[in-house]
Amino acid sequence: MKKLLFAAAGVLALSLPAQDAAARPTIEELQKRAVLDDYEANVLFGYNIVMDSNRYAPRYAGNALRCSSCHLDGGTRPDGFPLFVAGVYPKWRAKNGVRNSLEMRIRDCFLYSLSGVMPPEEAPEVLAVSAYISYLSYGKSIGTPPQGWGVPTLPETGADPDPARGQAVFRRACTLCHGADGAGTAVAPPLWGFQSFNAGSGMNVVPRLAGFIWANMPMGAERSLTHQEALDVAAFLHIQHRPFDPREGRLRKLAEEIYHGLSRLFGARAPAAPTGR
Amino acid sequence: MSLLREAVPDLRWRRSVDVRREVAAGLVGALLVIPQAITFAYVAGVAPEYGLYCAVFVGFLASLLGNSPMVGGPNTAVSILIGLTVLPFAGRGSPLYTELVLALSLMVGFIQLLMWLGRAAALFRYFSPAAIIGIKAGVGVWLIASALEGATGMGPMTVKFLYEKFYIVLAGWQELVNPYATLVSGVTVAAGLLLRRRWRRSYVVLAVLIGSIVGGLVYGWLGPVDSDLELLGHVTLDALPFRIPTLGPPHWLFLELAIAPAIAIAILGLAQSLVIARDLKSTVAPHLDLHKEVFAQAMANALGPFFSSFAGSGSFNRTAIALEMGARTPLSGMVAALAVVLIAWLLGPVLTYLPMPVVAGVMVLVGIGMIQPRELRPMLNRIDGPVLLVTLFAVIFLGLESGILVAVTASVIFFVASASQVRLAISHQGEAEHIRVTGNLFYASIDRLAKHLHANPAAVTSLDLSRVPFRDATAMQLIERIQRERVRCGGKLEVVEEG
Ligand code: HEC
Ligand code: HEC
Repeated sequence: MKKLLFAAAGVLALSLPAQDAAARPTIEELQKRAVLDDYEANVLFGYNIVMDSNRYAPRYAGNALRCSSCHLDGGTRPDGFPLFVAGVYPKWRAKNGVRNSLEMRIRDCFLYSLSGVMPPEEAPEVLAVSAYISYLSYGKSIGTPPQGWGVPTLPETGADPDPARGQAVFRRACTLCHGADGAGTAVAPPLWGFQSFNAGSGMNVVPRLAGFIWANMPMGAERSLTHQEALDVAAFLHIQHRPFDPREGRLRKLAEEIYHGLSRLFGARAPAAPTGR
Repeated sequence: MSLLREAVPDLRWRRSVDVRREVAAGLVGALLVIPQAITFAYVAGVAPEYGLYCAVFVGFLASLLGNSPMVGGPNTAVSILIGLTVLPFAGRGSPLYTELVLALSLMVGFIQLLMWLGRAAALFRYFSPAAIIGIKAGVGVWLIASALEGATGMGPMTVKFLYEKFYIVLAGWQELVNPYATLVSGVTVAAGLLLRRRWRRSYVVLAVLIGSIVGGLVYGWLGPVDSDLELLGHVTLDALPFRIPTLGPPHWLFLELAIAPAIAIAILGLAQSLVIARDLKSTVAPHLDLHKEVFAQAMANALGPFFSSFAGSGSFNRTAIALEMGARTPLSGMVAALAVVLIAWLLGPVLTYLPMPVVAGVMVLVGIGMIQPRELRPMLNRIDGPVLLVTLFAVIFLGLESGILVAVTASVIFFVASASQVRLAISHQGEAEHIRVTGNLFYASIDRLAKHLHANPAAVTSLDLSRVPFRDATAMQLIERIQRERVRCGGKLEVVEEG
């Protein structure tokens, strides 16, 4: 009798890890379930926010994009800013010079990429997305960057990115979905203008944007552009009009402009404008 | 039959209504409730929309079903208790959390309906006013303490005792406190306290205005990252946020565990509403039916969750303001509820940039408003004082829920103590002794008389019970036993009832 019990326990113990790996329910399964526990409910909430930010996180979202506009396929596509990155956080980051938690990054994307209101660290929306990210990161190792993290870094092409050539590429390859004026269509989100990411977004950095475009755009014909074409079109997008970088205090900027204007008017030597922090 | 009459809206007030005054009072009420609704939603731990829904739907239903100018809607103490009750079961503000808040509110509504059937309005008469003032002051202390994180720009803390928070903040202020948030909340509170003397009605709105301007300047100067000021964000109101409260197994399990707090919330809500209602009955609305008022509050809370609203109750300060503006009928409450939708919609884009430290400032102001020396001072006599102090102490140090239990117990003890006072007037006519008893004779008050009668079993006594309106079985059995004892010992005990 005792032996039998031990044997049963052994079988159970052996089957546990395998069962565990299979036990992570897919999003579709979660959606179908009538009852969710707190974690699962948050994962689903996070997934919904990523797929339809304006509907599920209206409090903090600000433009026509959703997280999945850039974190493609709900954050599951390698080389398309995937979100299975819980294992690399917290990490040191140059943008603000401090250790960044995952929550910090999520808040940043609300502020810059969605050009919205920065949620507090413990906002339910932020916690839900971070639950979703840890769900996506299931099985990834901690400390090593996952395969397909971020976007590919394009090699040196030898020529500077040229917005003029980029405009030609844009007219040829992008207008069909993103519209001739870059304001988006029913099938694709806006690339610039007030409904797109703002100047402070991580997307507004030419090499990174080029990597994203090369690896993921035009959608359906990914990696069809040459590296140079991707860099050119990225430079073209970079010089377009978009919401200002919110890191700059608007009022201080205004006061500085007025000060410079006045000092030029009265011939005094204006001090060098403080450069970006 | 009378239950039916209480349950059906009574619109007779239509005949004698001064529409202009009621509408004016309603509009002012709507303007005042918006900062409170957002604040109390924050206190309850849900998105600001839910507080506004509560102001709209619970407020409207309570006025429609009731028969008084009492203004219902989100309430401080109820919101605090909701937050404390649900927090252990789900992450603050998560979808499950919100579902649990609504489920809890539904249960509170049903408990209150049961209380209505049990004629709670009569029972609540025994709730000592001193206890209610004690609870109110205690809730004020809680509110101020819960404002601490928001006011200093920190994340919410969960602590066992209130004073731990102050300790944590003092010990680690260099890392924890955001000076800009503290500045903004400080300005809001200071402005409110200064303006309160002059503008008793609207000082909260003015303080919000001033706080927001300072917040806007800081935010505009430094930007969102350097100032790290939290903003309210977009408030998106649905026109008709109809939903059926989700009740799956986790919700049922939660409800089972939350019965005690739900009862506490139900009592607290009704107790406050009834204090207001009784006040109104003795002043402007002599025909007010207390039972109907209980039904209105209970039904509003029971139906509220179907409109995404958490539980509320009558509001002291908003009712007082409505009265001051000349409201005399439920119309003002209904106008206020509907106007909230309009004003929140008009203010929407501005509300987005409302700094959260301003909301924390409002919490402090409301909290200070609940600790009123004017109310506390008359209570500090020998009879009310102990009840008040015990309740206040319990609310602050044991928590709201236990505090209410203590308040009920203290009220009962106080009531029993005052009801069990009997006077014995003893006179002698020759051999015979005559005792006239004044007071109630029952298990708690019989001791002195019994001791006296036992002392001399051979005496002849006539006991005059004509001034004893109430006597229980224990008392009568005891008197009979003494009568038998007297017969055995050669004495006599005669009960007389003449006038
Ligand atoms: C306009 C495109 C865009 C949108 C929309 C966007 N992001 Fe991002 N996000 C980025 C870019 C670009 C980066 C990488 C920035 C960097 O490395 O500095 C990033 C990085 C992140 C990271 C860190 C991931 C990593 O690889 O380390 C997280 C987490 C994140 N975003 C979450 C979100 C969430 C949540 C949303 C929706 C609320 C969102 N993002 C919307 C562009 C976007
Ligand atoms: C077949 C249609 C299609 C074409 C062609 C296309 N895109 Fe996109 N693009 C999309 C869609 C769809 C998304 C959003 C993905 C999502 O929401 O799941 C997107 C997203 C983007 C984004 C990130 C989101 C944003 O709005 O900023 C950028 C940048 C982008 N595309 C650039 C380009 C460029 C540059 C080209 C031309 C080289 C291009 N796209 C061609 C469909 C297209």
